[in-house]
Amino acid sequence: MTDQLGALTTIFTEFYYWVTVVLMFLIHVGFCMYEVGASRYKHHQHTLMKNTMLIPLVTVTWFFFGWWIYWAFPTGPGIAPSIMNESTALITDESTFSARWYTAASEYMAINLGDHISGVFWAAFLLFSWTAASIVSGAIIERITTFAFGILAIAIGSCFWVIDAAWGWHFDGWMLKILGYHDAYASGVIHAIAGGFALGVLMVLGPRIGKFSSSGEPRNIGPRNPWLVTVGLFLIYTGFWGFYAACNIPIFDLGPEYGMEGVTYWTATNIYVTPTTLSGITFNFLMSLSGGLLAGYWIAKGDPFWTYSSGLAGIICASAGNDLYHPIQAMIIGMIGVVISYKLHYWVERKFKIDDAVGAVAVHGYAGFIGLVICGFVLNGYPSSGYSVGAMWDGTTYASINPLGQFLGAIIMFVVLGLIPGYVIAKVLHSMGKLRIPRDVEIAGLDYEMMESAKKDERAVSSATR
Amino acid sequence: MANVTNWIDHLSAEEVVGAVYPGAGSMEMTLVIIGIVLWLGWHVLTAKSESDELERLSRKRHGANDHKSNITDW
Repeated sequence: MTDQLGALTTIFTEFYYWVTVVLMFLIHVGFCMYEVGASRYKHHQHTLMKNTMLIPLVTVTWFFFGWWIYWAFPTGPGIAPSIMNESTALITDESTFSARWYTAASEYMAINLGDHISGVFWAAFLLFSWTAASIVSGAIIERITTFAFGILAIAIGSCFWVIDAAWGWHFDGWMLKILGYHDAYASGVIHAIAGGFALGVLMVLGPRIGKFSSSGEPRNIGPRNPWLVTVGLFLIYTGFWGFYAACNIPIFDLGPEYGMEGVTYWTATNIYVTPTTLSGITFNFLMSLSGGLLAGYWIAKGDPFWTYSSGLAGIICASAGNDLYHPIQAMIIGMIGVVISYKLHYWVERKFKIDDAVGAVAVHGYAGFIGLVICGFVLNGYPSSGYSVGAMWDGTTYASINPLGQFLGAIIMFVVLGLIPGYVIAKVLHSMGKLRIPRDVEIAGLDYEMMESAKKDERAVSSATR
Repeated sequence: MANVTNWIDHLSAEEVVGAVYPGAGSMEMTLVIIGIVLWLGWHVLTAKSESDELERLSRKRHGANDHKSNITDW
């Protein structure tokens, strides 16, 4: 960097993403606290370690291949041509945004004096990956093996969510061009897919022992440490601020980018390189959070567990269009998402005997799905991209946002890339006898051995007088 | 291994080389292979120890509240 203004812009962008990564770390702290608080004492340590170990597993696999997938797959491949090279093949050419720069052996996947952005952008997406895997983690506590969860975490965190990101969360993604897909803050690309994946795993894994009576009536297994759950959810809210900021590009000149001759227009943009403001999305974040909390408190009759989760569901439901909504629209959408998700959770639990221990499928999956569909109606006609906008189904340009495209997008996220892969991988693990812990261990508690081995010391300490 | 031995020479070159880590341009693929072996090896080792632990605990057939006897001082 040789000119000061260019250096300032670059280093500001570098620092901006770095801060979002630190903030998003709190999402994972929150998820860990939430899960431990929701699990029974005899499973605490294994529950914590299961979620903790997804950090290194998803990180190293994200380095090895996850990040490459994002840059290689926007065209499908074979579905719609790239706006960069007009090819429908994998994007592995010599162009600036080619996936060839993001292989694990690339010189840009390391300290490189000529590249200030790749590492922090990689890390911002990595934190989204942890979130996707962590959403699944909560639903399946107290009965899955750590080995199986590790495989599932890598599958959702370093493979399936990033395929959907390449398709629907990339300025060159085929879902934007053909469907007019719009999902600015990841209702679908993180939440719907992770919720769908969790549901697929739960269908194979089965409920915790005692969750359903012999006649099939569900029993409530409430959080064992509501305060840990509370602080955990507050931390997830906090980390979500970083998540929203990380979904933006902080400073960008759209004039030359769009090919507008002589026009200079510096702005923040969303992931699709269309203009928004950090200020505007702050309105919408808080109003959708509030809508979720208001609706959750009402429908759950003041139950703290659901009220807190509903705040999150409110944000998730409005996230697809929170770059453009009016704050009151965001609030209302958050409220609608919460009411439908809550009702769906209990209906699915009773009808299909699905034991989602923390309501993750509802809060993330259903709310994300509904949010995408609502976005199609409320933002109907807005451009899905700042580049050329054309007719739906014309893969050479970009469709505008529309209800059918958003609905199909929601199906792709929740079912095609979420539920089906989750179900299939869980089935394979189940057939190997590696998915679920033995019945006697579930009854005794995963931590039994740890606790027993410490018993001698514990007794000595409890009887000590000096 | 050192890729840079003098920063003044390095930064005043006509074209500044960005990659400055040890082994730049020659070691990357080897490092990736080592990394993948370590990652997969970790799965193999921990899967085995987890299976052994679950099998051992399963054989003991403890009840749902037996763990409470292990906690002697709250």
